[in-house]
Amino acid sequence: MTTLTKLSEKFGLGSPKREPNPVTPPVAPVNEQAADLEHEDDESLVARTRRGEQGAFDVLVQRYKERLYATVYHMTSNHEDANDLVQDSLIKAYKSIHSFKGQSSFYTWVYRIAVNRTINFIKRRKTRNHYSLDDVDSNIQSDPDFVELMSHVTPRREVGLGELQEKLNEALQKLSETHRAVVTMHDVQGMTHADIAKVMKCSEGTVRSRLFYARQQLQGILSEYL
Amino acid sequence: MKWMDMDCKKVQRRFDDLAEGRLSEAVSRQLRRHLEECTDCRVQQQRTARLQQLLAIKRSERPAPEYFNDFLGEFHQRLQAEAATQPAWWQRWATSVSAEPTRTWRYAFAGALTVFVAFGAITSRVILSASHPAGGDASQMASVSSEPLFASAPLPASHSMPTMAVASVSPRPAEPSLAGGQVIIPAVAHDDVDEAGAPRYVLEKITDTPARYEVASIHF
Repeated sequence: MTTLTKLSEKFGLGSPKREPNPVTPPVAPVNEQAADLEHEDDESLVARTRRGEQGAFDVLVQRYKERLYATVYHMTSNHEDANDLVQDSLIKAYKSIHSFKGQSSFYTWVYRIAVNRTINFIKRRKTRNHYSLDDVDSNIQSDPDFVELMSHVTPRREVGLGELQEKLNEALQKLSETHRAVVTMHDVQGMTHADIAKVMKCSEGTVRSRLFYARQQLQGILSEYL
Repeated sequence: MKWMDMDCKKVQRRFDDLAEGRLSEAVSRQLRRHLEECTDCRVQQQRTARLQQLLAIKRSERPAPEYFNDFLGEFHQRLQAEAATQPAWWQRWATSVSAEPTRTWRYAFAGALTVFVAFGAITSRVILSASHPAGGDASQMASVSSEPLFASAPLPASHSMPTMAVASVSPRPAEPSLAGGQVIIPAVAHDDVDEAGAPRYVLEKITDTPARYEVASIHF
């Protein structure tokens, strides 16, 4: 399958199954246009979206969907909720693209929308405690960090990967929304304090403080694995 | 500052910066020396590192590879469905509110509420003073104006007086009153008497002469 064909399928252009999109009909030649857009930076794609080219926004969706999904998933521990929240956040971003002033990068802006939506969602959902977890990639078992971790944990008691995953998710769900957000962004996603501060619109000191208290709480909950 | 004088809490909040090399050489050295001496902080550093290793397992939690195949298609469908059911203006406003950090909107709402309450208070006072014209309670009039309320004794023509104070004095003769450079005459001259029979004073004309205020006499 050629790259162009793959892109065509990705963007739903020319697919016989998908109905034509009434919001902004694609303009021919779509395949070449989509391929060109893939190489453009965020700024120019945002400018094109503002001029009414939905194809440009599609590229942004493809570019960031997985990272957005991962963050929201780790905050909710629920696969379906994560999907809904990311879709909603991207729709919100598309509709509000004219209000995006460019003071931060597009990714920070859309990330902020997704994190805020997720925090509000978790606040509303507080009583619900239903997990819908993704599978853990089995390749992790050959990861040196994981091997070292397990060698430390297993002498105390036999622990399976599934159990660890469940305990981790349970522990994260016990944190407050903001503490969970910073732990997810820093310790799971590997974002810097500065980037987290931009997303959460707070100081780096606040990020450090939240991380400190969140980790203290997690250490208490997960003490038997540390 | 000596390394052992450093607050343990502050040291522990800097573990990430130390590990990621974001500190100056001097501060890094201080932290390391503190860690050499402080067992609590050293244990805490090890536990933090282990917790981070544990949390790293979550990076391997991933949906099936084909999960994102139709993500864009679903995005278009949802966009299409939203366009078909265009929400009312207040729903759009509510959505835009939820997309912003809650704190910002809290401040905006508090500010708007303050302005609204202040406007309401001022408006109600103006209405109240309008419903109690000359002959009414002088203290109400005084509360509207920050000017002092002067004696109600008739003033010689050479004296001037602030407009509101004049308006608060009960029935005045029909001749023009002096208020600085402004000439105020009772509304009786215009056949405009309210139910209580009290005359209302209206501004007849404004001269260019600046107002001068002098106290004739004050009676307590």
